[in-house]
Amino acid sequence: MLLILAIEAADDSGDVLRRMERRDGRALAQLYDRYGRMVYALILRIVRNQAAAEDLVQETFLRVWNRAQSFDASRGAVGPWLLTVARNRAIDYLRSQEGRDRKLAVFEENEDPRLYAGMEADIVFAEEARRVKQALAKLPENQRQVIELAYFDGLSQTEMAAKLGQPLGTVKTWVRSALAGLRKTMEAGVAE
Amino acid sequence: MSCDELREHYELYALGVAEEPERSEIHAHLERHCAACAGGVQQALVLAAALGASAPAAAPPARLRRRLLASAGVPERHYGWPLVWAAAALLCFSAAVYFSGRERQYAEESLHLRRQLGDQTTELRRLQEAFAILNAPGTTEVVFGQGQPAPPNGRVFVNPTRGVMMIASHLPPAPAGRIYEMWIIPKGGVPRPAGLFQSRSDDTAMHIEPGPVNVAATAAVAVTLENEAGAPQPTSQPLIVAAMPAPAR
Repeated sequence: MLLILAIEAADDSGDVLRRMERRDGRALAQLYDRYGRMVYALILRIVRNQAAAEDLVQETFLRVWNRAQSFDASRGAVGPWLLTVARNRAIDYLRSQEGRDRKLAVFEENEDPRLYAGMEADIVFAEEARRVKQALAKLPENQRQVIELAYFDGLSQTEMAAKLGQPLGTVKTWVRSALAGLRKTMEAGVAE
Repeated sequence: MSCDELREHYELYALGVAEEPERSEIHAHLERHCAACAGGVQQALVLAAALGASAPAAAPPARLRRRLLASAGVPERHYGWPLVWAAAALLCFSAAVYFSGRERQYAEESLHLRRQLGDQTTELRRLQEAFAILNAPGTTEVVFGQGQPAPPNGRVFVNPTRGVMMIASHLPPAPAGRIYEMWIIPKGGVPRPAGLFQSRSDDTAMHIEPGPVNVAATAAVAVTLENEAGAPQPTSQPLIVAAMPAPAR
């Protein structure tokens, strides 16, 4: 998957978004051809339901299609933004299926295109993704578990503690340690 | 809350799972364009997206692309099966024409090369016979045409075991329907046919009649012009007569 990401990221995604701003339908097709597999894989991992995943992929790309004008294509990396939108759609679906508080407004805070302004090019993001995957595999089991619960299940630390039957303080320690390790990986990559 | 106090919560905010009051605090910092928090959250967003890229690979069905484009009102290029079949048929036909042409060309080239090889093999065999006659012990060499008012001229080599070879020059190609025939003429006997040949366009000729020859009993080697089927006996005056030398006493 990371290989696909690296290959796809080598293209000029900024140009695709600029054409999407002009409602060029071929740009949407191009964006899907470039990121469709990645978005589908992520959503399927979260919802574990093929039909639902297809609906959510469609919803994700339509959301980006309709919001392309608000994304500064010349200054941001579309890959992280697209994956954030995809994950938010999938987590919202998961929470609604499980009868949990959907908190969609909270989730959508991280979709604000302004947050992605100045983000490095997608090709750099591909390298970071590779490093993070390796770092995640090296984490102790409990630390990797809480990170996956946060990312793929959208659980807060309180919800994780309840699910794992662990004290909230313990879960917070695991989360803090895991994030510190991943953060260190990211910072080491920046320093290289 | 200060930026330092919020630092550890950037990733949870990026994942949408930060709890209160940290979530609201970070949001407030971002709303007032706090550079430290904006940078930290952005780094956390990259980390979050990188986590997303760690999901196991999966390929969406092809229909999903069509569905997406249709829902966005984007017309997809659709050529239909008839056109696809027509294109495939045209491609097959073109390939068949192309490859049959190539096959015919290769066959012709192959035939040409086989003929060339056959010609060269024949020529090589003739040269081997010629060298054998020239190098074998007991070969008698006779010059003909020297000092005569009209050509041709050349040499005849006779070997008792290898045969007779004649090399001539100034012998123009025989006219249509005619051919040169060589004769071995025994002393007091009837001329024996020794093969048909044609001279080259440069008026030269080389003819070999392999097989044993009784050199001592041979009076001469001669050449006449005959009909293209040849003749059992000479029907015209000889153009070439190479008289064998008398045996040494």
